[in-house]
Amino acid sequence: MVFTQLLINGLIGGSIYALIACGFGFIYTTNRFIHFAHGATVTVAAYIFYWMISILAWPFAIVVILTILAASLFGFLMHLLIYMPLKRRNSSSTILLIASIGIMIFFNNLIQLIFGAEVKIIYVFENAKGVNLFGAHITILQITMILTVFAILVGLFLFRRYSKLGKLMQAVADNPELAKTSGINSTNVQHWSFIIGSAMAGVAAILIGLESNIEPIMGITLMVHGFTAAVIGGVTSIIGPIFGGLMIGLIENFGVWFLPASYKAGIVFGLLLFFLLVRPQGIFGINKGTRE
Amino acid sequence: MIGNYIIHLAILVSIYIILSVSLNLALGFTGLINLGHIAFFGIGAYTSALLTLKGVPFPIAFILAGLIASMSGFVLANITNKLKGDYLALATLGFSLVVYSIFINWGSVTNGPGGLAAIPRPNIFGLQIVSNTSYLVFALTICILAVLIISKIVRSRYGKLLEAVRDDAIGTEALGKNIYKLKYQSMMISAFFAGIAGSLFAHYISYINPASFYIHDIIVFLTIVIVGGLASIKGSVVAAIIIIVLPELLRFVNIPSYMIGTMQQILYAGILIAILMIRPRGIFGRIDLES
Repeated sequence: MVFTQLLINGLIGGSIYALIACGFGFIYTTNRFIHFAHGATVTVAAYIFYWMISILAWPFAIVVILTILAASLFGFLMHLLIYMPLKRRNSSSTILLIASIGIMIFFNNLIQLIFGAEVKIIYVFENAKGVNLFGAHITILQITMILTVFAILVGLFLFRRYSKLGKLMQAVADNPELAKTSGINSTNVQHWSFIIGSAMAGVAAILIGLESNIEPIMGITLMVHGFTAAVIGGVTSIIGPIFGGLMIGLIENFGVWFLPASYKAGIVFGLLLFFLLVRPQGIFGINKGTRE
Repeated sequence: MIGNYIIHLAILVSIYIILSVSLNLALGFTGLINLGHIAFFGIGAYTSALLTLKGVPFPIAFILAGLIASMSGFVLANITNKLKGDYLALATLGFSLVVYSIFINWGSVTNGPGGLAAIPRPNIFGLQIVSNTSYLVFALTICILAVLIISKIVRSRYGKLLEAVRDDAIGTEALGKNIYKLKYQSMMISAFFAGIAGSLFAHYISYINPASFYIHDIIVFLTIVIVGGLASIKGSVVAAIIIIVLPELLRFVNIPSYMIGTMQQILYAGILIAILMIRPRGIFGRIDLES
């Protein structure tokens, strides 16, 4: 009973982390720096979603599309206006990381200024009826969420493997200089990584809005989870972050069985450290400059 | 009235000078991208507050605040020993999150989100510090001592070794130096000063809660150190004054007081991004941030 419930909760949490980790991985592999402000993309998208659905009361389908587009645009602009000028100065990846922490805190506070610090609850599907599944309580919404995430992740996997742009991304990820000399426009590919990766953050934001509450400071914690998921699974691999995200969701929820719920942060940090020290390339990653 | 306000600002500036100069020791001189500094600050504040509330004399609590923060620095340096650059940054950021969650969750000791109130003003061997003016004298003395000690360290032969670790770790190791030891020592010294800064903060404000040490506030130290320049003590001192005083001007603009904290952080983040884009070396910086 408890087991199935924890399993389902873990899968739901895990699929959100998987989306964030996957988007982060998309950006990381072609850009080679830790885009911490990916968490800001999630926060901003979640609040745009909240604004359109709860305040403007637009139809759900249109809001979903607009939210994802807004997240993409946000990610793209960050790359264009802040990261690109820094890269042109040959800034090290540490400078980019510090800048991205700056961006993160900037937008967290901006959101707080506009919408207030309090938690917001989004009501879209008022009477979400639950079904009993092997003794666990799960709503139709949650089933749809898990299935949607898996559909998206499978789609992205196929995209990375078989589409032209996906292969270009792999080429830039593998060796940016070689890709450039082979006539690949790596800047363009990096732009697309930001656009697609941030779109996934947009999807994650919608799911968080529907499943739980949103607040301005949620981005940092989410990003630590997403980053940990990417490290555990192997940030350079395609399925690694998905696997890592699900693993964190499950471990976090099953951990609550033994430890008080408030220690979730500790469990995740423990996992992150363990993998960074023991297997920095992650479970599915290749050992190639992952710790540099 | 305005005099009190300037004294208040001067006390805050003293505390932030200690914090940023000590962060610069680890970040600028030794090249450890440490985002756990806010946690050391919090550990110092909580240690000192809890001890004095239990009746321990202030001088002992003050020293213990530094020592316990320093020990946490030792632990953090050990568990992250193998990590470099961005991965070290993220692991230390995780450490800050964990310490924050301990402040919140260890309710029986830290009183959880409610925080600790009525933290007494220092009593140093019978000399009771009550007024803000005398507190300023005390904080300023500690601040000057801290800056002098850290300047002494970085100018010494030992300081050059720390810089060697930053510039060429493998080369330093090849010369027979124990870089692991140098790294954790640097982290411990840095954490010690963050700890005593925490104590100064707690006894001045007289009320602390976990929110005072949330990782958002790391932006203040980071901005000060980057604006002043890495590996520049003078830079950190000057930048601390600019960065703490400048946003205070917001108080004279007509905005609601509950927005000021948020506006300040927006300003810090904006300054940080701008300086990275315009002059990543900061005002007095000598070195670039390498990964």
